[in-house]
Amino acid sequence: MPGDVISRFASVRLGTRGNQRKERGFGRVNGHHGEILQGIFPDDAGRLHRGLVTLPCDIVSSTAVFRPAPGILVTVPDDKLKAAEAARLTLDSLGLHDQGGHLTVESTIPVGLGMGSSTADVVAAIRAVADAHGATLGADEVARLAVRAETASDSIMHGDLAILFAQREGIVLEHLGPALPPLEVLSVNTAPGTGVDTVKQPPADYDDWEVQAFRPLRGMLRRAIRTGDAALLGRVATASARISQRHLPKPAFEEINAIAASAGALGIQVAHSGTVVGLLFDPRNPATTRRIAEAAARLEAFGLPPAFHFRTDAAEVRHVA
Amino acid sequence: MSLEMTMSQPLSRETRGFPDYELPRLVRLADNLHGAAFFLMKLLPARHMLDRAAADGRLKPGGTICETTSGTFGLALAMLAAVRGYKLILVSDPAIDEHLHKRLLELGVTLEIVEKPYEVGGFQTARLDRLRAALEANPGSFCPSQYGNADNPRAYAEVAEQIAERLGHVDCLVGTVGSGGSMSGIARFLRHLNPDLHVIGVDTPNSVVFGQPDGKRLLRGLGNSLVPPNVDHRQFDEIHWVGAAEAFLATRRLHQHHALYQGGTSGAAYLVADWWARTHPDRKVMTLFPDEGHRYVASIYNDDWLAALPGWTGLLPEAPQPVAHPSDVRSSWSSYRWDRRTLDEVLAAANPVARDLAEAA
Ligand SMILES: Cc1ncc(COP(=O)(O)O)c(C=O)c1O
Repeated sequence: MPGDVISRFASVRLGTRGNQRKERGFGRVNGHHGEILQGIFPDDAGRLHRGLVTLPCDIVSSTAVFRPAPGILVTVPDDKLKAAEAARLTLDSLGLHDQGGHLTVESTIPVGLGMGSSTADVVAAIRAVADAHGATLGADEVARLAVRAETASDSIMHGDLAILFAQREGIVLEHLGPALPPLEVLSVNTAPGTGVDTVKQPPADYDDWEVQAFRPLRGMLRRAIRTGDAALLGRVATASARISQRHLPKPAFEEINAIAASAGALGIQVAHSGTVVGLLFDPRNPATTRRIAEAAARLEAFGLPPAFHFRTDAAEVRHVA
Repeated sequence: MSLEMTMSQPLSRETRGFPDYELPRLVRLADNLHGAAFFLMKLLPARHMLDRAAADGRLKPGGTICETTSGTFGLALAMLAAVRGYKLILVSDPAIDEHLHKRLLELGVTLEIVEKPYEVGGFQTARLDRLRAALEANPGSFCPSQYGNADNPRAYAEVAEQIAERLGHVDCLVGTVGSGGSMSGIARFLRHLNPDLHVIGVDTPNSVVFGQPDGKRLLRGLGNSLVPPNVDHRQFDEIHWVGAAEAFLATRRLHQHHALYQGGTSGAAYLVADWWARTHPDRKVMTLFPDEGHRYVASIYNDDWLAALPGWTGLLPEAPQPVAHPSDVRSSWSSYRWDRRTLDEVLAAANPVARDLAEAA
């Protein structure tokens, strides 16, 4: 996005002048529900990148407040190390090397499920620090800072934009469209009480066939987004979940898949570095309410009661800079 | 090579190629029938095999490539070797087309023609022996081995990507099987997105690929005298055997009705795909047309040549003859429910007709 370069330089100027500084800055960002697609993708030059397409979930979020002050940076709670690191990097990138302040981070995103809790804290912190200095950072700049703070980041700083995002580089590999086709998602935590350390996991070692198999998934995803076809999106998500199953297996994957199919779901979707699985339904289909109730009952009978369900096209403001 | 190594490789310097020639043009032939018309399908697997070999050092810059082929794979290798600066040695036999021969020479290929077939093993074994000798005489040379190289089927992810992006969901895939790369590759990739995909392989009588006894075949490009490891038999729901005369007539019909000037294997695929699309009007069918018709001006597109074919009737059957076992296939269009089995499973299943006869006796 060409505008981002301009805003980046503009913000540096604003920050160092300091005359835009506020008493408090706010940052907020929504979590997500894992990915529609995650794998290996070539760029235009043919070079391979790890990439993902996030499924946004706006019923959970992280919020940060930053009060600038001279001296050290204090973060509350003090175990939000990544958020603290991100705040420091943001201050440095604004040229404010000697400045500290007080950062508070609050989140409703459960930890270890692969719903973006870590990245959300980081992004909220970056936005709060930037806001406190009157700076508006573009999503690409936020992504670069987030990746520096936590090595691999989800693409939530881009809001609902449908993008193929290189999570270890913080760059957009492909702009797919303004948003994914709308979905209604029934959420199941396949490993309640355990959780995955989403950051410490080694990246998946895909084999040669899998590296190639991501190409048709990407092709079908482009069409799903271009034509608003939720059924195609369900096929892509299920295929990506199947590959993920070889690398970070979800307990009861086949059973959940069978329940999804028998309840008329479009497919399933997983957190490729977490424990949640989503059963995908078409919110425009009048049968969806009944089908979700059926699927929920079957999952409950199986011993995996779904935690919640949400729509990706709910009429809510999701972008909070 | 590990994934991390592959990803951190500098991009190959040998990046010249024909990307816009590799992928087919998609043509709608009927409401539910789509054709993928290639200029030269083999460019895609040839380029992918060379890229992979160059990336992991099996093929050195300016190195030598040796292969046995008398068909389109050799032409694809020759085009790539010419622009990427490789030396190419192709082993072939006297049946090689005269114009192709000249074209390969003009592209700088060293052609080794095996003059005499072996008493046992015929030209196939004689050519393999000559290939082995060429590889030994050129230490460090690379043999793509399209029949066994897994990069052949894997190359077709790009065609699957194109189909998925342009057509979204397809119900049925129809195509000819030679090395097995194109059909096994595309079928597996598309089936990953659609487990219900119905896959139809098109072979020809006297080809051993799907269990016929070996014999002389007039229709080239599909079928084989050995079973290539790249044929993944378990991808196929249905197998059809199309005779040469039928395939040539269908090739002409593809041109007459749809203005697509393609080769003989395209005709064979079209015959089967058109029948399946007509009998399943609510299912979306995709079929592959592997090469263009220019190489067949003097044969398939020549009425006198066609009329001189043994057993030429000029008539095209409306539908295939279903058979109970691959060994029941005669010389004309037959179909068999393969049901995603291995070749061994199919051959081990007793021929029900033979069994009934035995029981009646
Ligand atoms: C003209 C033509 N059609 C079809 C095929 C079969 O394709 P595959 O080798 O991918 O099975 C070939 C293979 O050489 C060919 O040359």
